Amino acid sequence: MVRVLLRFPEKIVNQPIIAQVLLQHRITLNIIAAHVDFHGGNVLIEVPKEHVEKAVNAFKERGVFVSFPKLIEVDKDRCLNCGACYSLCPVGAISIGEDYSISFDKEKCIGSPCGLCVDACPARVIKLTKELNLSVLSDEERGSN
Amino acid sequence: MLEKKRTVEEINEKIKKGDVQVLTALEMKKLVESSGVEVAFKEVDVVTTGTFGAMCSSGAVINLGHSDPPIKIQNAWINDVPVCHPGAAVDLYIGATLMSETRPFEYGGGHVIEDLISGKEVELRATAYGTDCYPRTQLRTTITKDDLNQFYLINFRNCYQRYVCATNSRDETIYTYMGKLLPRFGNATFSGAGELNPLMNDPDYETIGIGTRIFLGGTQGYVIGEGTQHDPKNQLGTIMVRGDCKKMNPKFIRGAAFTKYGTTLYVGIGIPIPILNIGLAKKTAVRDEDIKVPIVDYGVPVRDRPKLGVVSYKELRSGTITINGKKVKVSPLSSLKTAVEIAETLKKWIEEGLFYLTAPVERLPGDTEFKPMKQREKAFLVRDIVQKAVTCREDEEIKEVAKKIIEYSVNHVVVVNDKGELTGIVTSWDVTKAVADGKSKLSDIITRKVITARLEEPIEAAARRMVQYQISALPVIDHQRKVLGIVTSEDVTKILGR
Repeated sequence: MVRVLLRFPEKIVNQPIIAQVLLQHRITLNIIAAHVDFHGGNVLIEVPKEHVEKAVNAFKERGVFVSFPKLIEVDKDRCLNCGACYSLCPVGAISIGEDYSISFDKEKCIGSPCGLCVDACPARVIKLTKELNLSVLSDEERGSN
Repeated sequence: MLEKKRTVEEINEKIKKGDVQVLTALEMKKLVESSGVEVAFKEVDVVTTGTFGAMCSSGAVINLGHSDPPIKIQNAWINDVPVCHPGAAVDLYIGATLMSETRPFEYGGGHVIEDLISGKEVELRATAYGTDCYPRTQLRTTITKDDLNQFYLINFRNCYQRYVCATNSRDETIYTYMGKLLPRFGNATFSGAGELNPLMNDPDYETIGIGTRIFLGGTQGYVIGEGTQHDPKNQLGTIMVRGDCKKMNPKFIRGAAFTKYGTTLYVGIGIPIPILNIGLAKKTAVRDEDIKVPIVDYGVPVRDRPKLGVVSYKELRSGTITINGKKVKVSPLSSLKTAVEIAETLKKWIEEGLFYLTAPVERLPGDTEFKPMKQREKAFLVRDIVQKAVTCREDEEIKEVAKKIIEYSVNHVVVVNDKGELTGIVTSWDVTKAVADGKSKLSDIITRKVITARLEEPIEAAARRMVQYQISALPVIDHQRKVLGIVTSEDVTKILGR
């Protein structure tokens, strides 16, 4: 599965765009996080790898800004294993093990739409980095995040 | 029955012979639980403890040797961190919380100490006024730890016996020395190793005092007395320590940065507790559930912050605690993993005859008090300067609001609902802009995300928030968001600017 961040500008936020894309292109997707109000919306979705290109193009055609979220990258060698990040994670991607070591679940992490843990790290070892380099987006779009 | 006892000398004899019995504090607790205190006392000679957390009152003294021509350093910087000059000529003290002038809040004294211990080269700059005996006024060079004469960690306050749990009642995220605290009790943090903490395993300081040899930063160091703010009556004991940085391991001594608070140093400390009597066997069996700390609201920036309850280290370790009936995730700030490793390392050193125990020359005091600062001036609270707020309803016309601004000669009108609860704010600038833009509906110009103040806050905190958000007034609200008044930057300046 590939995480895709959709941004709906104000002028199209009242249209049922996600539903249209699903029905027309018969793709599946999973909504991970969403914040929508009348000024616009940010929706983080997960799409099967084989549908990414189709989905991205379909959303772009309808005026949605598409980008791939940055995911957290942790320098485990420099990690203090303190756990300062633990309580900030809203999706339970950070856990404290039996031996009190801190681990990060990249599958659960929602990445750049959140990023709450990054500035809570006293060792400064958590960074948001780009994971994906898919050809569906132009360089400019990839850099827009 | 006579109380059975053993002495430090007897234990050292056993270390020498290689038949000393050492357990880590975690192992000791299990043994006492399974076999009882009597057996544990009989079988165990030493219990090792450990802690690894942010200890801000840490720093290192370095001696640079003399330059040619010589300099009596007045100001000095290492990697752009201003390092204090506490003595004559070429001695410097690198305080952990001193921050780089070029990378503040990211790099500081703690990092300089870590870098030097790691063997890295650092840049030293110094200035001086020049004397007949020390004519030099400028200095720039690079140094490593090998170039230094002395490089000693001298920490005035380390190893807090236990520490409070921090949370935040405010509507905004705050950044503190207790880490990042989300709005409206969104999370909590705590520090300390709980049942593994050195002082917690010898709470009457029977074996810890001046001259106690300890694990410090990966090598052997010493307790040189009680730490500052040592508060034994409240189980908040601290120690002052000294150790040779040149022999330390950067794994157990790490620079760190707390966003918007500053830099610090993570220090690893382990203390061996000789089990001299059965009482100590019992004390080293202390469990996380027995160690309780208050939950403190860091959202209220006063000395005696409000307490919201009491929680044990066991609950804190579970990852979730309850505050005001709500489940809240809680972060440790110190590493229990490294604390365990320290206790295990110290155990190994003793077993292998690399570490001998010392009896203290003088015990830590058990009766000192931690007094607040003597102040000559009264602290002013928002309560002391709050004024009646001019309010309006959302359905009023902009014209009405403009009239109120003129009539009461104010710049801010607070928008409230039927219950008097805050829903927004309108400024004279908003009204002027509405006229210029041809807007007529009040609801279009209301600012809804309002920065507020509380009655019991010091006015410095309110002033800081106004500067931070570049605004000139804060509605004062209660916990139900009911508007109690307003404070303006003018009123704050009248007091602070005296």
